[in-house]
Amino acid sequence: MTGPDETLPGGPEAEAAEYALGLLTPAERARFEARLATDPALRAVVADWQTRFATLADDLPEVAPPPRVQQAIEAQLFGQRRPLWRQLLPYLAGGVVAAGIAWGVMITGVLEPADPHLYADLDARDSGYVLLAHWAPDSGTFMLRRDEGGFPQDSSIEIWVIPPGAAAPISVGLMQAAGLTQIPVPDALVPAMTPGTTVALSLEPQGGSPTGAPTGPILATGLLGVRS
Amino acid sequence: MTPQQEIEALIAQVALGDRSAFRDLYQRTSAKLFGVCLRVLNDRAEAEEALQEVFLRVWDKAGMYQVNGLSPMTWLITIARNLSVDRRRARRDPAGGLDAAEVVADSAPGPEAQAVARSDVVALNACLDGLPDGKGDMLRRVYLDGASYATLASETGARLNTIRTWLRRGLAALKECLEQ
Repeated sequence: MTGPDETLPGGPEAEAAEYALGLLTPAERARFEARLATDPALRAVVADWQTRFATLADDLPEVAPPPRVQQAIEAQLFGQRRPLWRQLLPYLAGGVVAAGIAWGVMITGVLEPADPHLYADLDARDSGYVLLAHWAPDSGTFMLRRDEGGFPQDSSIEIWVIPPGAAAPISVGLMQAAGLTQIPVPDALVPAMTPGTTVALSLEPQGGSPTGAPTGPILATGLLGVRS
Repeated sequence: MTPQQEIEALIAQVALGDRSAFRDLYQRTSAKLFGVCLRVLNDRAEAEEALQEVFLRVWDKAGMYQVNGLSPMTWLITIARNLSVDRRRARRDPAGGLDAAEVVADSAPGPEAQAVARSDVVALNACLDGLPDGKGDMLRRVYLDGASYATLASETGARLNTIRTWLRRGLAALKECLEQ
């Protein structure tokens, strides 16, 4: 694909600079961003330009903002409902909230003795992913269906579960580049597939996390639960 | 850890929802970023709003920081600059020429705030100054004042496409100069 106007000098390099400076028209920017999403080399060119221009800020004086700015930020962020991923953090710490939800699930009788199928809508504003996770206990299969969001060319997307009270995320496997991902779950991992378990996707190097824990950014998260 | 690595570690903690890391990050970087907002907007009230928006964005996007390939201060400065420019361009009546002297400095940039080596600053300014026909100053105006092609065209009386052609040549020349 080519830039907005091939008669303009500077080629893709100049276009990346225009993007970094906010000089493209909305239509050009949309096309450019579509290319960026799939072209790591182009992202690197943009990052280079951003780095060069940010140098111009180096000579600007520091000015302490008045305290009301920080107060306003904190009120906005922490004075109300927290974003999804942060709401789920207590699960990692084995928090009271997790125990509370598990208890609530049991006393309301949602947790049927016949091992229900569990689902989680995975959502993330930032990454554009919309996915459905599905745990089928009868076949022992964990499934992941991707409805929105691309697949990175040079990376893997790893699926993690964080059962209520767990100390760390547990890897389930890697997402397929296309089609429905189906992963047979080993017996040891079956107890993790319970209502209230967090499902999270992270961007990892090709082949998955080298450390056994998520290393890249979290792309999407959701909470396993029973569907009526 | 270097100050850069410390900022990077704070961003990683913020990505996990760590509020105290977020406060720490604010303490260390808000004066630099407020300086950027003030320079672009040249209006205290608007710069305060912009800074607020910057840190809301940082809280939301910290998880995406690692994939963008920027140093931590460059990432933060880019957010502050872009959000401020968006605001400035959205003004119905754009403010006239900005005067950086109106911004009173509290202090010289601290070590955290230095996104780049001093030599890079010198090199960039030398290359900008070396561009013919005042293209370097145009590029400074684009970055620091958020000037658009339309603004530059109306100021210079040149056609928009002419300005664009000039500036793109300038960008190509700038890159060549910086890579020497």
